[in-house]
Amino acid sequence: MTSEAMPSEEDIQALVGHEFPGGRYTIAHWENFLLTDCTGSGQLADGMVHPVALFHVPILGAGTSIGEMFKLGQAGPGVSIGIESYDWEFYRPLREETEYDISGRVSAAERKRTDTRLYDRIQFQFDLHDQGEHVARSTVTWHYRR
Amino acid sequence: MAIQPGDEVPPWVMEDVLASRMRTMAAILRDPYPVHWDRSVVAGMGLGERTINQGPLGLSYMVNMLHAWAGEGCLRRLVMRFPAPVFEGDHITARGRVTAVREENGEQLIDCDVWLEREGTAPPLEGSATIAFAGN
Repeated sequence: MTSEAMPSEEDIQALVGHEFPGGRYTIAHWENFLLTDCTGSGQLADGMVHPVALFHVPILGAGTSIGEMFKLGQAGPGVSIGIESYDWEFYRPLREETEYDISGRVSAAERKRTDTRLYDRIQFQFDLHDQGEHVARSTVTWHYRR
Repeated sequence: MAIQPGDEVPPWVMEDVLASRMRTMAAILRDPYPVHWDRSVVAGMGLGERTINQGPLGLSYMVNMLHAWAGEGCLRRLVMRFPAPVFEGDHITARGRVTAVREENGEQLIDCDVWLEREGTAPPLEGSATIAFAGN
């Protein structure tokens, strides 16, 4: 990405508090089956969803997408995205065919400079509820390298 | 089962990280980042000729290790950092070590350091997990 296309530091900071539309998501059996297979695990018992679903289910359920999250940080074709961390908290296991209420927001956004790197650190936080009960939280922190 | 700090979690091995699984994963995630399915993009970034595993897939190897040890549904928290990519064709071993055993809200919790091991490199993923043995 050229310097002309790089967002301003103020643009990045202004992302804090951005709320995604929110919505509901039901993890179908076929989706969990394929997802679990990708991990190299056997299928879990009693309709339990593989915990790796806590990456994409909150994102899609909150009414956004990985692509939109890239765009929010103005990641063009020449910008690489690095993962700082994923923080997953489970208060109950996820289950197939359960409709979860999901909300999501940008919880932190700032420009970082080191001796060798310039990047924007953007953190997203998603919450899953089932009939008012908090089921899980996912905090995703990415680096948008400039 | 008496678990103590310093105990090793039995390792879990992913013999061969497959590009085909990355492609399926990309479709499920609706992940448009081509490094997971287009080798030419990875090559253009100067990172070699192999596609890059999705971060959550690397993380899932830790989950599989913890499930095999403590039972499905054991996971309470997983915090992972990603110092380096995992590539297709990698042979990966998930490992862990108990750092604390504690009680919270009447539940016995076990904290662990967890990491992925790849021969000849530093751990590509590392972090911490909190679990409760299924049935506790």
